[in-house]
Amino acid sequence: MFTRRNLIRLILFVAFALLALGVAPEPWRAGRVLLPALSPLLNLGGAVAAFAFGLLNLLALPLLILPLFKGRFFCWRICPMGFAAETVSRLNKRNAGLVRRVPFLGKGLALVILGSAAAGYPALIWADPLCLFNGFFSAWRAPFTWVSAATGLGFVLILLASLIAPNIWCHRLCPLGGLEEWLTQLAAKFRRTPIPAAPMPVFAENVRVGRRVFLGFAVGSVVGLAYGKAKAAVARAASFIRPPGAAGANFNALCARCGNCMKACPYGLIVPDLGASGIDGLFTPVLKFRSKNEGQEQFCFQDCTACTRVCPTGAIRPLPKEEKQQTAIGLARVDKKKCIAWEKGEYCVVCQEFCPYQAIIEVDHKNVKCPTVDEAKCRGCGACESQCPAQPIAIVVEGRNPQPRLTSPSPQLPH
Amino acid sequence: MNTIKRRSFLKTTASAAAVSALPAVPAKALEPPTPAATVVVVHGKDIPKMLAAGIAKLGGWGTFIKAGMKVAIKPNVAWNSTPAQGGNTHPDLVKACVLAAEAKGAAAINIPENTCHPEKSTYKTSGVEDALKGTKARLYRPAKTDYQKVEIPKGKAVKSAGVPKDILACDCLINMPVAKSHSATVLTLSMKNWMGSVSNEDRRAWHRDGLHQCIADFSTFIKPKLIIIDATRIMLTKGPQGPGDLAHPDEIILSTDPVAADAYAATLFKKEPFDIGYIKIAHEMGVGCGDLKKVTIERIEA
Repeated sequence: MFTRRNLIRLILFVAFALLALGVAPEPWRAGRVLLPALSPLLNLGGAVAAFAFGLLNLLALPLLILPLFKGRFFCWRICPMGFAAETVSRLNKRNAGLVRRVPFLGKGLALVILGSAAAGYPALIWADPLCLFNGFFSAWRAPFTWVSAATGLGFVLILLASLIAPNIWCHRLCPLGGLEEWLTQLAAKFRRTPIPAAPMPVFAENVRVGRRVFLGFAVGSVVGLAYGKAKAAVARAASFIRPPGAAGANFNALCARCGNCMKACPYGLIVPDLGASGIDGLFTPVLKFRSKNEGQEQFCFQDCTACTRVCPTGAIRPLPKEEKQQTAIGLARVDKKKCIAWEKGEYCVVCQEFCPYQAIIEVDHKNVKCPTVDEAKCRGCGACESQCPAQPIAIVVEGRNPQPRLTSPSPQLPH
Repeated sequence: MNTIKRRSFLKTTASAAAVSALPAVPAKALEPPTPAATVVVVHGKDIPKMLAAGIAKLGGWGTFIKAGMKVAIKPNVAWNSTPAQGGNTHPDLVKACVLAAEAKGAAAINIPENTCHPEKSTYKTSGVEDALKGTKARLYRPAKTDYQKVEIPKGKAVKSAGVPKDILACDCLINMPVAKSHSATVLTLSMKNWMGSVSNEDRRAWHRDGLHQCIADFSTFIKPKLIIIDATRIMLTKGPQGPGDLAHPDEIILSTDPVAADAYAATLFKKEPFDIGYIKIAHEMGVGCGDLKKVTIERIEA
């Protein structure tokens, strides 16, 4: 077991885990995007679906080219998820043969993901192993709750599955493995040379590449189109707030639930959603302005763009600071019945004091300044909600999806 | 002569009768027993020079800081804005004060400051963090465990408050706010500045329980040895965060009386001191003298 190959894999595993844990100092912490961006499913699938391409997409090339020459080299030598699954699989010697009775579902998964991505709604993108690996390590963040740990679930499930049916993940379920397998077979077909021997036992399978690829891709496209139609048909509540730069209607499909944005937020505002954004939005990132210490600044700070720089799929696109300050993720609403100024006639307007966009307009009510919200200026950053001293809170932000870009100038603080 | 005597006798009797007929008014409310306050106003461009001149007028640093003392300073470093924007106390002023305390042999110089924006950006952008590099001053945001709950015996609305231990345990407390407009209290000056010291829970509660009374209440408890108000540039609108319209009085205001210092600073904004709720209440509660007719204002140029 302690071969040179495994030693290198162990070192890589630790390195990738540290990257996902965010132990690197700023600005290197954004490097957490590198591992999931290696997966063509996440990286290209997302880019195709969002129809947004950038330099980051180049990172998907190695895993498209490598299998043409080296087979599933990445799977057996580099992939940290594979290393973990394989290591756990060794613990159960008795069921080692179980995997032979299962078809290679991962190959189908890969095609469904790519096909549906082409249709704009990449289904099952969250099943990517690099994303599940990242999701586990990015879940370790303060404040740690059962909800915040949700993105770590997939990693644990894979290890459990490996314990019950050894090697089932890498050989039968993994969609990235499936993609690598397709490419390997494709190369073999054209090059007529044997695929390099894998250091892992290969459970051979008779396949006809062409027809299956076509079928899988077609099924994926149909799934993707159906997904999009269903999504448009269901009217949704606006009671969830996405990170700035989030895609619009196809966000739930684009998001891989890797937890990168949640881990990147310096203020711990981004948490996995438990259904507010729809059943297909389970564990996607949403902002909660009162998630930790009451009264600390827990709002989407105007100078911060950390969460927009770590998304491997383009569900959240990178925003420059100026554009972030123009992006309205939500809209604040005052409940006059709960407001200290409106209801009790006290001098308060803490909301106005903290608003970075000068979006709280004061109106005179019984000689006391009372707050109202300027919809053309409010970016939904939550400064007002996080600081409102009323009990219960009198000003609450509702999400704006898709996020409008506001043209009103943002007061530059600092210059 | 007799007639005059009789007339004056009658006058005295009549007025005595009139006074005794009036409802009893506590003398304190009419005339607070405050010692004559002095406010030193230094005008100039060079902040360290201005501070030195002002302190010299108040008897020199030796009056306030002696070797081995623990000093605590409360500047206003709450917002992520630059020195020119006037949202925070000028870094040069904080630095000049810290250097003076070091020169006098202060054992520790603590600057606990509960920011409104994330502290990392705020300390940096305000220029205060960089200004304090190489000094022994410690600028930090108090954690929950850094606070101690204290009774406010004279408080009407505020009975207790969480205050940073370093502020409670110091030998010389210096309040060093920036003068600027404020959405809720019209102006934020020295007494209002303590809201950046008390715990977040208190800060919230004060907004619910009558802000002006709460600010005045806390000032019956907290006793800074020295108040230095930064009025080199003052934010006339959009305070406290800004950016807003600025004026440049080029002044720093020094006093040992917080109410007198605030009353003078209010005039820079063309406001009647007693139109600011907390100045009026603090004056009536005997915290200090807000009646500028009874305050000696010494103007110097530096």
